[in-house]
This record gives sequence, C-alpha cells and structure tokens, in this order.
Amino acid sequence: MLLQARHVDFSYGSETIFDDFSFGVERGERVVLKGESGGGKTTLMRLLLGFETPDNGTLEFEGSPLEGSNLKEFRRKCAWLPQDLNIGTGTVDEVIQFPFTFKKSGNQSPDNEKIINILSDLGLDNDILQKDFADLSTGQRQRTGIALCILLDKPVLLLDEPTSALDEASKEKAADHIFSDQDRTILSTSHDPFWIDKCDRIIDLDSETKDAS
Amino acid sequence: MEIIQLSWVQLAIGFIILIIPGSILWWYNTGLNKKMVVATIRMTLQLLFVGYYLEYLFEYDNTWLNLAWIMVMVVVADFATIDRSDLKTSRSLVLPIFWATFLGIVLINVFFLELVIQLPKFLEAQYAIPITGMVLGNCLRSNVIGINDFYYNLKENNERYRFYLASGATRREALYPFFQRALQKSANPTLAAMATIGLVSLPGMMTGQILSGSSPLTAIQYQIMIMLAIFSGTILSVFLAILFCNRAVFFDNDMLDESIFKE
Repeated sequence: MLLQARHVDFSYGSETIFDDFSFGVERGERVVLKGESGGGKTTLMRLLLGFETPDNGTLEFEGSPLEGSNLKEFRRKCAWLPQDLNIGTGTVDEVIQFPFTFKKSGNQSPDNEKIINILSDLGLDNDILQKDFADLSTGQRQRTGIALCILLDKPVLLLDEPTSALDEASKEKAADHIFSDQDRTILSTSHDPFWIDKCDRIIDLDSETKDAS
Repeated sequence: MEIIQLSWVQLAIGFIILIIPGSILWWYNTGLNKKMVVATIRMTLQLLFVGYYLEYLFEYDNTWLNLAWIMVMVVVADFATIDRSDLKTSRSLVLPIFWATFLGIVLINVFFLELVIQLPKFLEAQYAIPITGMVLGNCLRSNVIGINDFYYNLKENNERYRFYLASGATRREALYPFFQRALQKSANPTLAAMATIGLVSLPGMMTGQILSGSSPLTAIQYQIMIMLAIFSGTILSVFLAILFCNRAVFFDNDMLDESIFKE
C-alpha cells in the first residue's frame, strides 16, 4: 500500500469526524472520496499531509508512519490542490514559480512554453501571468492551482474538488494532463460525475464512518 | 557654549503648557485626560529615577555595572515587546526574544563603541548607556511590528504556508514569504525616518547634543552613526527574534503552536 490509514479516530472538539476509520490506496490507483460536506474528505487529506494529528490510529506512507522524515518525504512526493485557493502572493507567474525554488523538493522548474501551454489548456490566456494573483476570480485561482499541480509533476496528487470551477473543455484537458501518467497515484474529492467516472475506485466516507460506528 | 541649567521651578512652569492640550482633549470629551495625567506622572517619575540612576552610573563608570544596566534594559525591552504584541507571554517567546535583542545589541555596541568610536574604556557609561537605550527603544518597536506581522500573517494565511509545505518546501522555505513581509513592515518606519531626517525633524539626540554645547557638525556625525546603528540593530534583532522564536513555536509536523496567540 502506498497510503494507508489504520483505525483512525479524529474529532474537531466534540464533533467526531473519523471513528476507527481504515483505508488504503495502492500505487497508481485513482481514488475519489465521496460524502456529505463536513464528512471528512478534506480532513483526510489534511491528516495525510500532517496538518492535523489523529487522536488514535496511524497513517502510513510506503509502509512507515507519516511523521518525521517520512512525512517530509511524502510532502516532497506529492502536490496538493486545496479548497481554499490562497496559495501565493504577487503575480500569477511568481505564484507558479515559487514552489520551484524549494531546494530539496525535487521540483524541476518548467520552461515558459510549458507553463503557457498548460494555462491555455485550462482556458487561461498567457497575459494572466502578469496579473496579481489576489485579483483573480475563484475559478481562475483554481485553474492556476491545477496548472501548478500539473507542472509540479509529482507521483502523488491530492486534489480537493479539482473540477468545480472548470468548463467541460478544460475538464477534459485537465484530466488528460493529470491522468496521463499511469504510475501516478491520485486521491481526490469530487461531486462531479465526469471526474468520478475517470477514477478507479470510490470511497464513500459516509458509509465507511457509519459502518465503523 | 554652556547649557543653561534648568531649576526645578523652571521645569515646574513647563508643566503649565499641559492646560492647552488638556482643555482640547476635555472639550471634545476624548476621555483621555486621566490618561494624560497618568502618562505625564509616569514619564516624570521614570525619567527622574533614570536621571538619578545615571548620575550614579556615570560617577562610578564600572564596566560590569554598565553591562548589568544594559542587561536590565534588554530584559525590560523583552517583556515590553511581548506585552505590546498580541502574543501571549510564554517561555517559548520570552527567551528567544531576549537572546535576539541581546545579541543584536552586543553586535551593534561592539561595532560602534569599540571599532568606530574606539572608547578608551570598554562600555564607558557616557556613550554605552544612551546609545544602547536609543537602539534598544527602536529594536523594541521594530520587534513588535515584525513579530506581530509574522505570526498573524501566518495565522491568517495558514493555507498558503501549508500549500508550500505540501509542495515539498522545508519549514524555512515555506516561511520565506512571511519573513519577507515581516522584515518589510518592520524596516519601513526606520527607512522613512532616515529619508526625511534633518528636513522634517531634528532628532532628539542631535538636539540634545547641540543644546549641551556640541558643535552641530559633531552632533550630525553622531546622529548619522546612531541612525546606522538603529537601522542595523532593528533589522538584526527582528530577524533573530523571528528565527529564534520559530525554533520554539512549531511542532514536529511544522504546524504552528497556536497557543501563542491571545484569545
């Protein structure tokens, strides 16, 4: 298993999000998480990324607990599209370039042509690069975020509602880029039948947590 | 040129001027009159205390005593920094800010007092105490601005920091933009002051020197030096303060310990 949760309990204050929750994702698998909002889809990604700590149970990456150096290794191998798209400051170009300055991340700086092609596939003109990221619409921010996840070219992608602001044509193009690498592992959340259809497996968190309790 | 010695009566007459601001504040019902009285009394008593203390300090002019007084100033500045910031007074902040301010002051003092001015005696009170005080006062202000901005910006834009971590950044790399903004915010007031000094305002130290009989040229030489000391000291202490605090306020998973914030 590439990613695994074993008997995880997690609550926000008095609200239980996970009660004895277990799941696993194989390398190269494309998994989509389903469930009501507040059901833990986003929380699961945050737990995996080490932004939250489970009350009980363990999370693992490549068979070792997601903590210390293994957590850092996982972060180096993944790209994350969060729901809150407050992902940088300055111009769009600066926002896109910044993660490529991280020395130990293994992020390979993309050439300008590649950036422009991917932005164009996602329905963004290249003059957007000079705009201030803070001035973009939510949809434009999400497209920039997806473009960045594609450019980072990581073996694991964690994508929170990746298609919610895309039109049909951009969805196809985004999916082509994201699903092109057969070895890439994708864990996503989505309500979009188009996206769900592209994935190999659906995990319904509502039934998982109910089953567990 | 000898300075005119003020008698206590003359100084007391000086307080009469407070009738004017006091009346304006009272007329507009600002609620600041009591505060004005308390602040005036505090200012007078604190300065009287320091005045007598400095007389004693200057008379003995003992290096260890001077060093001890500098340490007292750093400790007071340390607690005042946290008190004026919107962060909780906790061990994880008090010690790092103390060391940052102390190291900043030591470096500036050694450089300016010993290498530039070349004092005949190490930490001579007449130079060491006022210069340390001026640099420290500015470090305090800059540290408050810098530290507040750094941690509140991080709290507000937590998702951005997390996004960087999730893109493979080390903690230091992910904090880079937050450092950048905190340094900009804390450097700006000093840079603005440097850009207008002499044109808009005559600084206190220079005024004091001229009043006590120094030539304006000597006064500006010292003023230029003190501005360099203040600017370098503030940037250094803000940088070190955030750097040292960061060693104490993050968990192993790189998440910020939010208990540092006041509710």
